[in-house]
Amino acid sequence: MSGEVRLFRSVKEIPPEDYYTAGRRTCAGCGPALAYRLVLKAAGPNTVVLGPTGCMYVANAHQFLTSPYALPWFHTQLGGGGAAGIGTAAAFRALMTKRKRIPEEINVVVFGGDGGFADIGFAGLSMGVSYDYPRLLYVLYDNESYANTGIQASSTTPWGATTTFTPSGKVKRIGNERLKKNVALIMAAHPGVKYVATATLWPPLDLPNKVRKALESGGPSFIHVLTPCPKGWFTPPDLAVELSRLAVETGLWVLWEYENGKFKLNYKPSPRKHVKQYLQLQGRFAHLTADDIEVIEERTKKEWEMWMEMERTGRLIIPWPSSPGDSGDNMTL
Amino acid sequence: MKVVTRVSEALQIPRKKPITGARAIAEAVKLADVDVIAAYPIRPYTGIMNALAEMIANGEFMAEIIVADSEHSQFEIAKHASAVGARTFVGSSGVGLAYATEAIIVTAMDQLPVVAIAGCRALDDPGNFGMEWNDVLLFRDSGWLISWAKDPQEALDMTLVAYRVAEDRRVMLPHFIAVDGATITHIAAPVDVPSKKDVTEFLPLYRPPYPLDPAYGPVTKAQHIAPSLIGPEQRKHVDVAMKRAREVIVEAWKDYANYVGREYSPFIEAFHMDDAEVALVTMGAYTINALHAVEKARKDGVKAGLIRLRYFRPFPFWELRKVLSSVEGVGVLDFSYSFGSPDSGGVLFNEVRAAMYENPKPALDFLFLGGREPKPDDFVRALKILYEYVRTGKTPGNKRVFWLTLRGEDV
Ligand SMILES: Cc1ncc(C[n+]2csc(CCOP(=O)(O)OP(=O)(O)O)c2C)c(N)n1
Ligand code: SF4
Ligand SMILES: [Mg+2]
Repeated sequence: MSGEVRLFRSVKEIPPEDYYTAGRRTCAGCGPALAYRLVLKAAGPNTVVLGPTGCMYVANAHQFLTSPYALPWFHTQLGGGGAAGIGTAAAFRALMTKRKRIPEEINVVVFGGDGGFADIGFAGLSMGVSYDYPRLLYVLYDNESYANTGIQASSTTPWGATTTFTPSGKVKRIGNERLKKNVALIMAAHPGVKYVATATLWPPLDLPNKVRKALESGGPSFIHVLTPCPKGWFTPPDLAVELSRLAVETGLWVLWEYENGKFKLNYKPSPRKHVKQYLQLQGRFAHLTADDIEVIEERTKKEWEMWMEMERTGRLIIPWPSSPGDSGDNMTL
Repeated sequence: MKVVTRVSEALQIPRKKPITGARAIAEAVKLADVDVIAAYPIRPYTGIMNALAEMIANGEFMAEIIVADSEHSQFEIAKHASAVGARTFVGSSGVGLAYATEAIIVTAMDQLPVVAIAGCRALDDPGNFGMEWNDVLLFRDSGWLISWAKDPQEALDMTLVAYRVAEDRRVMLPHFIAVDGATITHIAAPVDVPSKKDVTEFLPLYRPPYPLDPAYGPVTKAQHIAPSLIGPEQRKHVDVAMKRAREVIVEAWKDYANYVGREYSPFIEAFHMDDAEVALVTMGAYTINALHAVEKARKDGVKAGLIRLRYFRPFPFWELRKVLSSVEGVGVLDFSYSFGSPDSGGVLFNEVRAAMYENPKPALDFLFLGGREPKPDDFVRALKILYEYVRTGKTPGNKRVFWLTLRGEDV
């Protein structure tokens, strides 16, 4: 199905038209905002965009009666992302089948946060990829917290990050003690899903090309995009792309895609950089000791054995040991 | 010339099919040519979705039917499909409606004319299949139109009229049709199903003013606002829509009678009110039982009357005030609770009392709670207490509110 996908071969081929434009008030250097812009450039004008509550709702407007969207756009409730996509896609199919509207190919893109998709709207997202609507793409922009409410831990916040609900304190030193949920792997466990991928803001063509593939996949699709958040990560505003690159090069963020039953690793860091190169730039990890960081490094190393195994076999494997540091059993999906 | 082969046709008697309320509502949805349906199971409304799923599976009409993962998703699906320009149908009962609360509320604030069935059911805990009104009354303040059907025929008619009113450009609000649980959904009654032609003429295609569709250019819907920007103005839109709905409802029922031939008084149905001294006020399926009690009392020389509200939102306060102007006492047959409310009465009771504020009448509330079926005698007893109150100014225990189906002491 992906035979005719028009992929970008150079940055110059990315269209100059923006569908996510001025009139918003996101923080300087906001990773989700940059992802939004790239996703919509790749999707193009025949697209409806749906936005669950979160920074990409509130910070995209609020202060003035402005809208940054040059496409039809509608808010959906924090847990409503999955259903919003289905309702919109179902309406188009019904109206076109019944000749109440001229048949046409229309993309439906739901752009939801980690809180919106990995927690409160998780069941709805699961339903969303269980139907067979083509051109229905769910993009999870993962800033690794409930950013809009003031940086609270979600189920995708990494181990060791300090957030307002998981502060590093005298007794509970680590901060967030839960391990990051791998939403893309769970989405790949849905037999109806046609395309699943992870991405971040680097390499530059990776995300827009994955959006193109997802929309042309012939069914529902999901892309989990790591998007650095200067406010929540306690990082300078000019580091969003650099942090994206380091997340990939340290192996903490794995770029992969799953299509037609096949797993494919998109980037193999070699040699993999030490995780501290990524962690040390971020204030949210400043309280971690050298030993804590070694725990993360060890764990990443173990995980990578499994990612390489997946690359070799083309099969999905649940890649992690049961807790940071120790080597648990791995399960083949 | 058309050959008449049936006696009913020759005599022009409408041919009625004995069908359940659930089936009757499904027939209406099919006649309305609904485009997107979102389902999730909960008794007693489920039968409607079962019927629709079967119709669609057998090719009787075409719609996207989505089995949602929850009621929250169900109502979100309907809301978003409606924004694109699809005619939608959804529904639930009891805790299902409570679960969907957030989605239900924003649908009204977005002014999307979704039509939903509320198959009234007692809220948990404990789990209970009985009938109470509190599930749908959770949404009495939210901007949804709410009508209340008394039988399968009216449930069908109300569904068709609901689309017409909800989608009217002067209104653009979502619409609940409340049905009193299994008493309507699971009971078969003779129902006249209107012809496709009549319905098509009565109910034009749904065309939202600003569809969420690239063909109509970029619209941004429900953008976040600072409260000072358009906070009050947006609420005013909903308020005005609800106020305008009154005239649209009257027009729609008149037009419905023209096309389909069944006439209803739009807001309230009054029985024996011309000379009534005491009146019962209620909604829904138990009206018929209340009417038997009223007619029995009349045989005993009591000038009793009965009023049935067909709409709860907009509340027909003006019509109610007028029809109650000459009675001496009012008794509300009430299947709703509002713990801690004035006199600890039900929701309907206090709404009726508020409607009579300018011309107050002695009023009592008769509560039927927890889903236990009322007996015909309970309504007779209600009238007796009311009549005694009007004559002597006294009630048993000096109370205003009576739990008539309660066993043990009504403290
Ligand atoms: C039902 C509900 N609960 C809580 C909130 C409050 N709330 C608004 S934005 C937000 C954060 C959402 O986090 P995420 O989806 O990760 O998006 P982000 O803010 O990080 O961009 C929350 C919890 C809400 N709007 N709705
Ligand atoms: S808090 Fe983070 S996600 Fe939200 S606007 Fe700021 S940088 Fe973007
Ligand atoms: Mg987030």
